[in-house]
Order: sequence, then structure tokens, then C-alpha cells
Amino acid sequence: MGISRTEAASALTDIERTAGRSRELRGYQIAGPILMVWGVVWAIGYSAMGLLPVERWGLVWLPLDVVGLTATVLLSRRPRTNGQAGKTGMGWRIGVGSMAVAAFFVGTYTVFQPTTIEPAIVYPGLVTGLVYTMVGVAFMPRFLWIGAAVFVASLVGHFLFQPWLAFWMAAVGGGGLILAGLWLRRA
Amino acid sequence: MAELDELIHQPLRLKIMAALHAEHGEPLEFSRLKAITLATDGNLGSHLTTLEKAGYVEIAKDFVGKKPRTRVAMTPAGRQAFRRHVDYLREVVEGVSGD
Repeated sequence: MGISRTEAASALTDIERTAGRSRELRGYQIAGPILMVWGVVWAIGYSAMGLLPVERWGLVWLPLDVVGLTATVLLSRRPRTNGQAGKTGMGWRIGVGSMAVAAFFVGTYTVFQPTTIEPAIVYPGLVTGLVYTMVGVAFMPRFLWIGAAVFVASLVGHFLFQPWLAFWMAAVGGGGLILAGLWLRRA
Repeated sequence: MAELDELIHQPLRLKIMAALHAEHGEPLEFSRLKAITLATDGNLGSHLTTLEKAGYVEIAKDFVGKKPRTRVAMTPAGRQAFRRHVDYLREVVEGVSGD
């Protein structure tokens, strides 16, 4: 027994769609814990910004960023299966991508040098929102919502809660990323 | 030679095999397979049994803590059969064989 060309084409489309959905769900499962780590990093870092003088912010963020980047690379590796070592997976791509975003932050801060502290506090939220939105458009739709939420929350904090901006970013940004991580993990 | 595999060609079994093939030999948990294929528990279970009887998949049941876990993996025979079936579909689309 044979099948028609239309039926065969439809079956191939089904296979490609299923494989795509499988990749997407696997991506969410990997990205969830990474987002939760960055949520904790944001919560600690921004809380410290609200409590410590400006000159000590760098001392807080440097180790936090190193921890965040290291965790990102490690969590991007595929899980161990049947006693075999974890595979590199997307780890190096995500690591290089994160370093590129970090370099972008440093470059733009250096060029524009904000004269007040509020733009320096809110800027990472805006860039993170943009990056997540782009990831959502290109690969994983749920990131579209997460990116938009981070972007809007950063703007809301800047315009409506400026006296408590650092704590706003710690609670809403950090807490939001932790919740977003849980949402992705359950996909 | 590429040939139609009627057992795999059933729509849900085709999705199951496509999802497992995309895992490159790593097992998938039943709940994840259900989310990927958008099937019901009963339907998925019954088609997995058919694929297991054909030797195309292996089903392993264990416990994580106190929670039962069912994992499904594609066997080498299943991988070979799936590739043969996909080759057949491509040949039909390209007009090499079929009705």
C-alpha cells in the first residue's frame, strides 16, 4: 500500500512541527532554572544597591555576575543520562551571548556615563527586557511575555517608584524572574 | 530501501516517534511526551504499548522519591524504522515512489 504525495507532505510537516515543539519545551526546561538564578542575583544585587553607597555597588555586582554567568553555562548543559557525563549542549552559545550582553552594558555605560543613579539602576532592566523579547520573537514565544514584563516593570519603577527604585527592581525584577523561571519550568 | 511503516504512520504514533527521535537517544518522561504530542493519558499509553510491542520504544518505570516516573526511549530498531519511514515520505513527496 502506498500513500499520496499530499499525505506524505502532511506527515513530514507533522514530524517537523513535533520536533520543533520538543526543542521548544526542552529549551524552556533548561531556561527556567537559569532565569530563577538571575532572579536571585537581581534580588540580592538590587537590594544591596538600595542599602549600600554607590562606590560599593561594583564590589557587589562583580561576584554576583560571575556567579550568574557560571550558573548559566553549567545549567545550559544537558542533564546526565544513564550515568553518562552531561553534554555541553547550548552552554557555550548562551555563555558567549551573556558575555556579549555584559560587554554591551559596560560599553554603553562607559560611552553615555549617566549623571544620576536612577538611569544606571533601570538600564539593565530595559536591556534585559529587550534581549528576552528578541529571544521570544526568534525562538521561544514565552520569552516575549517575560521580556515585555521586565521592560514595562523597569519603566514603571523609573517613573512611579523612583525613591525606591533599587528595591523595586529587587522585588519586581528579581521576583518576576523567579516566577518566570517557574513558569518556564512547568511548560 | 525506504518503505512505508504502517505502524509508525498512524498520526499519534508518528508524533511519538518524531518527539523521541528529536531527543537523540535520551529518554523522555511520559508527562513531557504528553505535552509535546498533546495526547490524553489513555491514548498515549495505548499507542506506546503498540510501539513497545513492535520493539520501537522502551518504557522504564521507576520512582523519584515517592513519585512514580515513566520514561520512554527510542530503541535502535525504532530509530532505524523511523528513518526508513521518513525517507519513504520524502521519496513520495519528491515523486520517486508512491501512488
